[in-house]
Amino acid sequence: MRFLPHTDTDRSAMLEKIGVSAMSDLFADIPAEFHLDEGSLNIADALSEAGIVRKFTKAAEKNRNATNTRYFLGGGTYNHFVPAVVDYIISRGEFLTAYTPYQPEISQGTLQALFEFQTMIARLTGMDVSNASMYEAATATAEAALMARRVTRKNRVVMAGSVNPRYRSVTANYLSRLDGEFVGVDMGQFGTDLDRVIAAIDEETACVIVQYPDFYGSVYDLAPLRAACDAAKCLMVVAFSDVSAFALIESPGALGADIAVGSGQSLGIPMGFGGPHLGLFTCKQKYLRQMPGRVCGLTSDADGKRGFVLTLSTREQHIRREKATSNICTNQGLMCTAAATYMTLMGDAGLATVARHSAAALQSLVSQLPDHVSAASGARFNETVLSFADREARDAFLAAAKARDMFAGIPLEKIDAAAEPRHLLVATTEMVEADDINDYLALLEVAK
Amino acid sequence: MSSNNTFKYSGTVGMQHEEPLLFEHAHEAPESINLPGVNGDISTALSAFSRKKPANIPGLSEPETVRHFVRLSQWNHGIETGFYPLGSCTMKYNPRVNEQVVRLPGLAHIHPDQPQDTAQGVLELLYELQGWLGEISGLPHLTLQPAAGAHGELVGLMMIRAALDARGQQHRRKVLVPDSAHGTNPASAALCGMHCVELKSGPDGRIDLDELKRHLDDETAALMMTNPNTAGAFESDIKEICQLVHDAGGFVYGDGANLNALVGVARPGDMGIDCLHINVHKTFATPHGGGGPGGGPVAVNDTLAPYLPVPRIEKQGETFALVNGSGTSIGPVLGSPGQIGVMLRAHAYISAFGRQHLHQIAGDAVLNANYILHRLKDRYHVPFKGLCKHECLLTDEIQNKHGVKTLDIAKRLIDLGFHPMTVYFPLIVHGAMLIEPTETESRETLDAFCDAMLDIADACEAGDTELLHQAPLKPFRRRLDETQAARNPVLVWQG
Repeated sequence: MRFLPHTDTDRSAMLEKIGVSAMSDLFADIPAEFHLDEGSLNIADALSEAGIVRKFTKAAEKNRNATNTRYFLGGGTYNHFVPAVVDYIISRGEFLTAYTPYQPEISQGTLQALFEFQTMIARLTGMDVSNASMYEAATATAEAALMARRVTRKNRVVMAGSVNPRYRSVTANYLSRLDGEFVGVDMGQFGTDLDRVIAAIDEETACVIVQYPDFYGSVYDLAPLRAACDAAKCLMVVAFSDVSAFALIESPGALGADIAVGSGQSLGIPMGFGGPHLGLFTCKQKYLRQMPGRVCGLTSDADGKRGFVLTLSTREQHIRREKATSNICTNQGLMCTAAATYMTLMGDAGLATVARHSAAALQSLVSQLPDHVSAASGARFNETVLSFADREARDAFLAAAKARDMFAGIPLEKIDAAAEPRHLLVATTEMVEADDINDYLALLEVAK
Repeated sequence: MSSNNTFKYSGTVGMQHEEPLLFEHAHEAPESINLPGVNGDISTALSAFSRKKPANIPGLSEPETVRHFVRLSQWNHGIETGFYPLGSCTMKYNPRVNEQVVRLPGLAHIHPDQPQDTAQGVLELLYELQGWLGEISGLPHLTLQPAAGAHGELVGLMMIRAALDARGQQHRRKVLVPDSAHGTNPASAALCGMHCVELKSGPDGRIDLDELKRHLDDETAALMMTNPNTAGAFESDIKEICQLVHDAGGFVYGDGANLNALVGVARPGDMGIDCLHINVHKTFATPHGGGGPGGGPVAVNDTLAPYLPVPRIEKQGETFALVNGSGTSIGPVLGSPGQIGVMLRAHAYISAFGRQHLHQIAGDAVLNANYILHRLKDRYHVPFKGLCKHECLLTDEIQNKHGVKTLDIAKRLIDLGFHPMTVYFPLIVHGAMLIEPTETESRETLDAFCDAMLDIADACEAGDTELLHQAPLKPFRRRLDETQAARNPVLVWQG
């Protein structure tokens, strides 16, 4: 077996040193009734390396993918461009095969990359501090609700119905086993009605969670919500699903968010059928000690040289156990390195171009829609809802587009179970070219 | 602190490169990267929300970016660089072919909401993996969704809680956790709205049956146990333990962190475990990445199967499907189907061993740990005698007499060219050193590591301890001031 260095001679010699005669003696402390016969499990026969490549290639070829199909799919996962350098850097064994940097003297590479990541994420979101990642956006949103409960010592959580339904249902699920109340506020539209959200706030409210841009792509003014949160002494939590937006539109921090959480998948991480992605968690400095997850901090070594360590670990499970701020341990470390590399390559200008091209593609599309299709109104970033007369019309279009190598959108009810089955959630990124928009519009006409 | 950072590249000696923060690179950002897409106007409605101040993210050119991060990488230790004997972490070699196959466009560049008939290949691989993990664990029903081991714990406890609720036993909220457990166990129980009671380990480091019996009652929801436990010892009373918990009306949750000792040799499900999470970055060699992404699939028995989270991966006739609806499910626990790329690597690892060789993982892992134990047991204190499984536990008791602590030994190992073992865990012994070699290390490496450990023991006995207290002297950075970092936390660069 090529991953195992020992020969049988090695094994015999080692067994002899240990003072036993057979490998099975090493397992004598496991009751005999539980010993399996070698090779008795119902698992496929061993494959050679060539066999593995062949099997995975065959499987991969059954999947349509973004190299042979145009993607207008979003809903939390976006087909942004991934520069070759990003994958190269995270493929380096020193980053890829390192453990969590608990021995900082020999982990400064991961730690400095994390510090740079935290800094850039704080700057992009306009927030004071960032942690060193969460799993992904839905669980990050749930953790934000839990953190707001700790900060305010109140336990009522209000969430706008325009937050991604997956973030909503995961958050509601996390909270359902704890004391307190979860209030979902129906929006009655493909956008965010802040009046309705604000009306749901009361003095018991720990936080209000909105998404910006919201699940339907809508961008709106958060100022009234900030004022309402101040009045009720609750936290304003802003979720987001495509962090690249904040290179173009005002950041959650500038709009007064106390906590901002969401997905960093757009920062150089492939769609990957849903993961591994990157959960982002940022907050105001004053709430730092209630923040979940690992953080990297600046310090110096015994010679006074600058260095970095994982810090504030007294919040964490390995020290605090059941009183920890979260149970999270392993997070998405390598994805932070990917995002840091991506942002370094892009800089302000590149990030702004990505966001602008993403938004311009959507604007180009919705401004040319034929009469039989309508788009949700108001400011949208790179995502919107297109509405058809009925399900048949929508599905005929989807099928026609699919036949022309295009995934034209996600049937809205697939994510938002309450939606009528005649809407399409449509997202654009810089990977959508003008020709793709033209094809999209032409297909809408054909499938009419 | 930042004021003395004048080094820029000038701190480089002997080709060990100092590298400034990317924010300290002096020049203006170069022309931005050439990007595809629609270079058109955004809507006027959106323009009204434009960002007023730039984020101030300094772009570097591609050659500078590569050099920056390559230099950072060179400050890191990884399993490809050397031995990584972290107990309870199972740092084994990560096959390169796994990295190659998960980057195939048909696996990397696919969307979780694309039509399922265009994603049959990935679903088939995942479905197959579910079956294999069911076989390996002896618990046939799987969710691949949990994002890491700790997330798996939460999901498993949610299922146990749901099963108890379905029996009308909403009063069962007590979770028994041995004092040797990982910190995630009690933290996960708290997040699941349950409370923990700590079980004191017996004199052999194992679960004490009398202690267990004393705490089992009609409020007990579950026992969370790790087997082999975090002292590296197999809980030989496992059958009685499970029986006692079941008789008391509770479930047994298995923390699969130490599955590497059992894979292909014995199955937790056969022993009476009801629910087990599997840390795929441990047992199945998915790269740890400097702290994730992990993956914590949960395997359960028939009793808990109705409560598995959604979406589930099912085979319907000849098609594979992500299925959302189920009235009894605990519901969604993640915003996506899971850490799919991580799961695919685990699939490739199991594929390479296959039915014929899978047991060799546990075999060589346990052989290597016992070999180290045997070589060190006369010079380091061994708190619990007998065979170990995939990891061995030592303490600093003998070295304490010379004023040397576990931390000194760990840091001295760095100077001698080795990543330290896990230190001060488990908490049930003073000055713990937990060593886990895994199956992918050669005898040559194990001997070199043991020689280093014996040299340290020699140095202690010779009273030559100054080097130990000062260690590490050789690496790129020496001991870092963790107190300063925590007292005045600086998490973002203010330059």
